Amino acid sequence: MADYKLIGKNYSTADLVAKVTGRAKYAEDFRADGMLFAKLLPSPMPHARVRSIDTSAAEAMPGVEVILTADELPPVDAPNEAGLTNEPVYEGEPILAVAAVDETTAADAIERIRVELEPLPFAVDPLESLRPGGPDARLDGNTMANSELTTIKWNDVDWAAIDRGEMPTDGPITDEWEVGDVEAGLAEADLVLDETVFHQSMGHQPLETRTAMAYWQNGKCYLYVSTQSTLRTHGPAARGIGIAPEDLVLVSEYCGGGFGSKIAGFVQMRLPALLSQKAGKPVMMRITRQEEHFIGRARPGLQGRVKIGYRSDGRITAMDMFFVQDGGPYGFSTDFMNAADQASLMYQPLSHRLRGLSVYTNTPPRSAQRAPGGLQAVSMIAPIMQKAANQLGIDPLELIRINAPAGQAKLGRPTNGEQGNVSSAFVREAADIGESTFDWQAMRARSGRRNGSKVTGIGVALSSFNAGAWGMDGLLTIRPDGKVYIHQGVGNLGTGSVFDTARAAMEALQTDWDQAEVIWGDTSKHLPWSTVQAGSTTTHAHTRANLAAGEDAKRKLLEIAAGALGGSPDDYDVADGRVFRRDYPRQGLGFAQAARRAIELGGRFDGHELPGDLNPVTVTAATALAGLGLMGVARDNYPLGGRVISHAIGFAEVEVDLETGAVVLKDYRVSTDVGTVINPRTLEAQLHGGAIQGFSAALGQKWTYDRRWGLQVSKRFYSNRPPTMLDVPHEEPMQWVAQDKPDPFSPMGAKGIGETAEGAGSGAVLCAIADALGEGYFNRTPVMTDMILTRIENLPPAFSNLAAHV
Amino acid sequence: MAVIRDMMPAFQLFQPTTTDEALGLLDQYQEQAWVLAGGLDSFDWLKDRVKRPAAVVDLGGVEELSAIRSATGGGLTIGAMAKLREVVRHPDVRSQYGLLAEAAGLVASPQIRNQGTLGGNLAQDTRCWYYRDGWNCYRAGGTICYADTPTAMNREHCILGASRCVAVNPSDTAPALVALDAEMDIRSSAGTRSVPAEQFFLGPDVDIMRMTVLEPNDLLAAIRVPGTWAGARFYFEKSRDRQVWDFALASVASAARITNGVIEDIRIAVNGVAPTPLRLRAAEDAVRGRQLTDEVAAQAGEAATAGVRPLAHNGYKVALLRNLVTRSVRGGEA
Amino acid sequence: MSDAERLDQQQADDQGYSRRSFIKGVIATGASVSAASYVLKNGAVVRAQAPGAVERLVTLSVNGLLRRVDVLPQETLATTLRYKLGLTGTKIGCDRSECGACTVLIDGVPHYGCSMLTHQVRGRAVQTIEGLEAADGTLHPVQQAVVDEQGFQCAFCMPGFVMNMVALVDENPNPTRKEAAHFLSGNLCRCADYNKILNVALRAAEYTRRG
Repeated sequence: MADYKLIGKNYSTADLVAKVTGRAKYAEDFRADGMLFAKLLPSPMPHARVRSIDTSAAEAMPGVEVILTADELPPVDAPNEAGLTNEPVYEGEPILAVAAVDETTAADAIERIRVELEPLPFAVDPLESLRPGGPDARLDGNTMANSELTTIKWNDVDWAAIDRGEMPTDGPITDEWEVGDVEAGLAEADLVLDETVFHQSMGHQPLETRTAMAYWQNGKCYLYVSTQSTLRTHGPAARGIGIAPEDLVLVSEYCGGGFGSKIAGFVQMRLPALLSQKAGKPVMMRITRQEEHFIGRARPGLQGRVKIGYRSDGRITAMDMFFVQDGGPYGFSTDFMNAADQASLMYQPLSHRLRGLSVYTNTPPRSAQRAPGGLQAVSMIAPIMQKAANQLGIDPLELIRINAPAGQAKLGRPTNGEQGNVSSAFVREAADIGESTFDWQAMRARSGRRNGSKVTGIGVALSSFNAGAWGMDGLLTIRPDGKVYIHQGVGNLGTGSVFDTARAAMEALQTDWDQAEVIWGDTSKHLPWSTVQAGSTTTHAHTRANLAAGEDAKRKLLEIAAGALGGSPDDYDVADGRVFRRDYPRQGLGFAQAARRAIELGGRFDGHELPGDLNPVTVTAATALAGLGLMGVARDNYPLGGRVISHAIGFAEVEVDLETGAVVLKDYRVSTDVGTVINPRTLEAQLHGGAIQGFSAALGQKWTYDRRWGLQVSKRFYSNRPPTMLDVPHEEPMQWVAQDKPDPFSPMGAKGIGETAEGAGSGAVLCAIADALGEGYFNRTPVMTDMILTRIENLPPAFSNLAAHV
Repeated sequence: MAVIRDMMPAFQLFQPTTTDEALGLLDQYQEQAWVLAGGLDSFDWLKDRVKRPAAVVDLGGVEELSAIRSATGGGLTIGAMAKLREVVRHPDVRSQYGLLAEAAGLVASPQIRNQGTLGGNLAQDTRCWYYRDGWNCYRAGGTICYADTPTAMNREHCILGASRCVAVNPSDTAPALVALDAEMDIRSSAGTRSVPAEQFFLGPDVDIMRMTVLEPNDLLAAIRVPGTWAGARFYFEKSRDRQVWDFALASVASAARITNGVIEDIRIAVNGVAPTPLRLRAAEDAVRGRQLTDEVAAQAGEAATAGVRPLAHNGYKVALLRNLVTRSVRGGEA
Repeated sequence: MSDAERLDQQQADDQGYSRRSFIKGVIATGASVSAASYVLKNGAVVRAQAPGAVERLVTLSVNGLLRRVDVLPQETLATTLRYKLGLTGTKIGCDRSECGACTVLIDGVPHYGCSMLTHQVRGRAVQTIEGLEAADGTLHPVQQAVVDEQGFQCAFCMPGFVMNMVALVDENPNPTRKEAAHFLSGNLCRCADYNKILNVALRAAEYTRRG
């Protein structure tokens, strides 16, 4: 790796002291004089039409200020949601909002409102809706084909097979692609595994709910919100409120978790703004955990079938994927498509086919959740890979290596018959370093070891996911106080990337980090065009953008020095807060002097003239900052080698108690291909935190519906079970290793990792459980006590392998 | 009227400092009174706005209810308001009645044990997810059990002892106290009465709207653990999906006297499988007086499952019950 | 007979009419039902604020200061801290004692602030994250350990974890990793940064031992 001053070094991010003293302000921590409190009236039914609303008794209560109904919202087009509705399509969907002087009054007022509802047919399981004559979750259709809402029924499929838990693959679908000839590939295979698979839906459940507070001043709306992406939430929020972007200030300095559920804020963030507008007072909309459970987004579940053909040497000849996606009631998720894209990369099948559709259901709305589709792909396919490895007599890690992508490997849906490619893949290298660092062979030797009623299982899984974006802008000013102010439009989710990527600018300036100030979290502070803090894009996109701004600033420093001190810019260099002569380092200018000089020179030096390729958002921000100092501002125009994807290989050891069905996760280790390591500790946090969210998918987190009523019964953490500290390895630290091989097509070679990390955790654990149980493959997540005991005891299964929301 | 959750409705709060004062309030408010111990079960009901008492009587200030005392002639008296944390840490509980310390130490989470009381853990309501969510079931005064229908989700419900309602008792300490043959001291303004732990809990066949014998004007004052099983060989195990917060899928508690490998006497109780904690007399009888072997232990497990009637989603609990009981006789590390 | 029909029959036996048929009938005829009568017990009664036996104006000891505050009988400590005393460092993550974000120390013992009535802490010492830093800005060893380890991610859980760690190092300044995990297990981290949080706890214990 290159010899960097800051990159790859541990440090503490600038927000930590505020966080650890309680001074950091999340959305619910802001106050405004005369602030009202909003409460939402949730639908008690999965699907219904509001016939009438009588708010008279509530309005007569002292302290009730305003009531907002769906009729008063700016309209949205189907299948999108408005935030309040007259046709609730899931239990818990807000019908109206009340603002009152305090929360107790607002809640009492909700109870005094009479809502007459006409119950409508509902579907909680996608397969129910595909059944001939089955109910549809929406009045305008149960699926989307070619961007049109439509209704599909599987009239001619073998429903008896579905009832037995076997997915047929001849039902009508809306999406299909094929690379090579899958039927031929399966025919030539020495081993074909053909499995019905199921992945549960699961809520995001960030610890901070989607609370928001708003007030208006001089015609401008101030909105305090919990969002992943400060700048990229600004436009959607303004549109949602129905105002011009310049009339909105959006503040989000800290976000208490999102995992994809708050990428650009959330639809209900318009409600406090509209209530405040109507009431003429500030409004706090505090979202409770139960409300979050319903309105807080979820990962789409998948019901499907996967056929994989292997040659006797382990090479995959064909992969055939068929998915029914649980789409929730609104929007359109692409998880099942992503699952195929990532599988095509991870396993490099010689032929590959995806067929599938997304079906609307009356369950909580879906959105991207950490590795959307990527997690599902690994959870479903890693155990099949392990089964194949056993049947072919190949070490499962070797089977990963045999099929691993390398270099600019191809992936995904073909365009005009041609697949795209990734910028880099060092999977075999990650397997090698993991094998040696973690002593994989010693781990494998522990497989099957008995300790009383407990048996050890070992698993390994490869995961991949998106890890980059490009074309963003970097913006910084070096001011007469000598400091470098780096403006960042991404949010602060706690991944560290809002700070980590700013270090790329300081690296370009070869200057100490304590001379930098990162400006973030408030759209009135002039933020440049940024990627969403999602899709694991930030690290890649903004090391590039900030490097571009840093290099721009450096060029200007060199020019200013040459102009002031003589010679040509090439005679100068920048380091340690100075620009100086290479041949006589004592001669130079400090950043403070250079900043003053830049202001005197004006023009492009201080931001009065800007590059022509900047995003208009950046132009507005830079124009406001012009004249404050030397401006470094540039679009990321660095080259690209393809889609940016990172990889991780998880190694898990579990102990399964054959008498109680209890699974204890003893150890987890992960090896990764993540490009240049920017910050080892934030990387470690992503590798392990992501893996644990994967364990959660594999071992416990789910929700449960009573399908007769279309209502959820597992609304509490103790019934939907996010993992605790004692559910993960906690007696010894979990290990990790990164090979630190730069992506060759990016100037610093950094890639993201957050999403990739999750599948490695899930896949490795699922394989380890199967290993402990001999041929204990479930093809279904999560694997819990009841399923394990049912298997061990040979009991009739309590539910079909395809049953959703059990 | 619309339904909303997560905001406690108004109530009057009383903070008596003596038991008599507290009993006077219960007499005054009768069914409209709500006894607040640690509050962890109570606040759930109140925040859901499903239960709406007029008066909440907070026992936190009644010092006489929280003492843990060794009784003369053996045994312990534990005030119902003793925190689970104090029970777990009490030297006599640890040295003589480790079964109770272990069970109390597996309740929910550390903070809940710091606040929750032994009495509250015993008297808590069931966690059936239909009932807790305010569905109008038998237990709530309605005319159906939503957890026992063809579409019902009843993975965590009972396999034994159902009567219309299929909810289970969620207490971790209850089976330990049944195994220890404890007695419950119940006070009302009429006086004090004592009820064996086994009889303290009520099944739906007796009263479908209550979990215990406590009447509206009763207080559980103390739990008396006799010296009978002090220092016996104990076994406690709680099966759960997550290691913190989760209620037991099934739990087992046993106290045994074993001499020269012979089980001289044993008491076994389970929870999470029936509407009340169950003492397993048939399992005890199957092994009492016999040499402790794996086969004998297994016979206790088999005896434990006689008469089970699993629901659609909880057949696994039969195996779990059998194996936990077997392990509790076998002994060793849980 | 389908499942639903069997259930209809069972319920008809139980209650004299079939709720399923009722719902189906409603769907067929387009009739309306009140939002509250789907399956939930219709027991909502709105009561005016009742006069309580407790005083409204109470004195609390928070972070070493005596604070006079007007509280409702049903008000939780977390609400009082956040909305009456301006101490927003204490977070509400679930309000149901199952996440730990609201953990504060009461007489040195970790409690879920969401599940205590403010009236229950009269006369007891409440400590929140705002009370850890010394007057001169010196961080508490636990806080310093967080900074030095780059602990936590979104950090919404951090105040609760930190208060719990303060109790941990106070009680046991030399815990094993496993002991620390058990002590801290009543706090949920949804970013699942548990591995690093345990590193923080052990470092905090080390700083405490060094004094």
